[in-house]
Amino acid sequence: MKKIFLTLFILSTVYSFSQTGVCGQFHRKYCGVDSKHGGDGDWSYNAQSKSGLFNQGMTSKIRCVIYKGMDYRINVCCETTFGDKLNYKIFDAKTNEILYDNSTAKNEPLFEFQSTATRQLIIEVTVPKGAADKSEHKPVDAACVGLLIEHKTTNKQGFSAY
Amino acid sequence: MIMQRKHLLIAPLVVAGLMLSSCGGDKTEASEESSSVDSTKTEVQAPVAAETFFQVPSPGEMLTFIKMIGGKNNKNTTFLNSPDNQKNYTDNKSKALNFGIYSCDLSYCSIFEIGSEALKYFKTVKQLGDQIGVSSAIKPEVLKRLEGNLGNPDSLSVITDDVYFSSFETLESGKQGPTLSLVVAGGWIESLFIATNLTKYEEKSPVVARLADQKYTLDNLIEFLKKYESDANVASVLTQFTELQAEFNKIGEKEAAPLKSTDKTKKVLGGGKDLIISADQYKVIVEKIKSIRNSYTLTK
Repeated sequence: MKKIFLTLFILSTVYSFSQTGVCGQFHRKYCGVDSKHGGDGDWSYNAQSKSGLFNQGMTSKIRCVIYKGMDYRINVCCETTFGDKLNYKIFDAKTNEILYDNSTAKNEPLFEFQSTATRQLIIEVTVPKGAADKSEHKPVDAACVGLLIEHKTTNKQGFSAY
Repeated sequence: MIMQRKHLLIAPLVVAGLMLSSCGGDKTEASEESSSVDSTKTEVQAPVAAETFFQVPSPGEMLTFIKMIGGKNNKNTTFLNSPDNQKNYTDNKSKALNFGIYSCDLSYCSIFEIGSEALKYFKTVKQLGDQIGVSSAIKPEVLKRLEGNLGNPDSLSVITDDVYFSSFETLESGKQGPTLSLVVAGGWIESLFIATNLTKYEEKSPVVARLADQKYTLDNLIEFLKKYESDANVASVLTQFTELQAEFNKIGEKEAAPLKSTDKTKKVLGGGKDLIISADQYKVIVEKIKSIRNSYTLTK
């Protein structure tokens, strides 16, 4: 009995962003922004992007650094099993203040922003319960979720010293 | 027997339950999502801690920034770690650290359009990469791509970034966490070493400000290293980086000025603080960076 629960516990804890080996560079392959939605050559890949294996109801977090004077773009995507209901929240890592929640924008996966100061952010990604189509009878199947971060220099307005 | 079977049958549900009850962030913190659970909740539904992953920007990001704000014509390579030193790195720790350092030097040569040096550094990175187990990430055809793009800095940067990211992924998926953490540490310290060699202290210098901002990256890097601190090599690097962190922690702060979005589609994340580094603090940090970096390259 104990062994069963221990095994299940271990199984359950290896999911989320820790399972990068399974999902590899999923975010680079599948989370790119197409030209219709502003995908263009100005954005550079940010090494703080990450992919992981998620199950329904799963939450995982990354702590990243964003710089003042830069524009950032986040795009969260997943395998079709989970549809388009991914939720993510952005917190200030120091104050825990919530800065953005994509559920306020109908779970829009794409978010562009800049920051008044260089800071650490926590990005918390959740695959909600019931995200997978129940008709597929795969309620506990895991799927890859990618968090793509891109950056570019903020366009200066007016005359610039540089 | 019936009882045992029953447990086996509910096993998938219990797994689901455990997943659903996962907590976010720190291991003591419970997320709102996890507070409501469905009917699969059972006696084993203790909260499962969700790990936070500490991310570190690539060395290339810092170097690209320096080039962008005024270092376009820089071709200085005297402060880089000479490829000739590679023969001195015989133990696993120095191989991993210097793989990160040479990868950063390669990135520097690519970004600053020093093509002939980029080829030398690529060969060094390749040789060390073979020794630390990332040979599959640095394929021979990459050299051909590099040679074919020597006059194209943008392509060179993309190629050398690919080398870094592929090596990162190979180590990560191969569960070589301690080696990976040393590679990242080496790359990061070298990017700061290069930045401080290219910049003199000026109160309003964007590069100086970016250097001060490395306080946050260092915090993340230290958390990343802590994950593998049971490894003696990582532990020794962690000690050095913690000393450096103590210097970064002396940097002053002031409330960040409000910012108007330059674009309607772009949200501004308000609040936060700007770091204000003094000339003396800068000097101490530069010396500390130099000392740590040279202890890895075994140079003066």
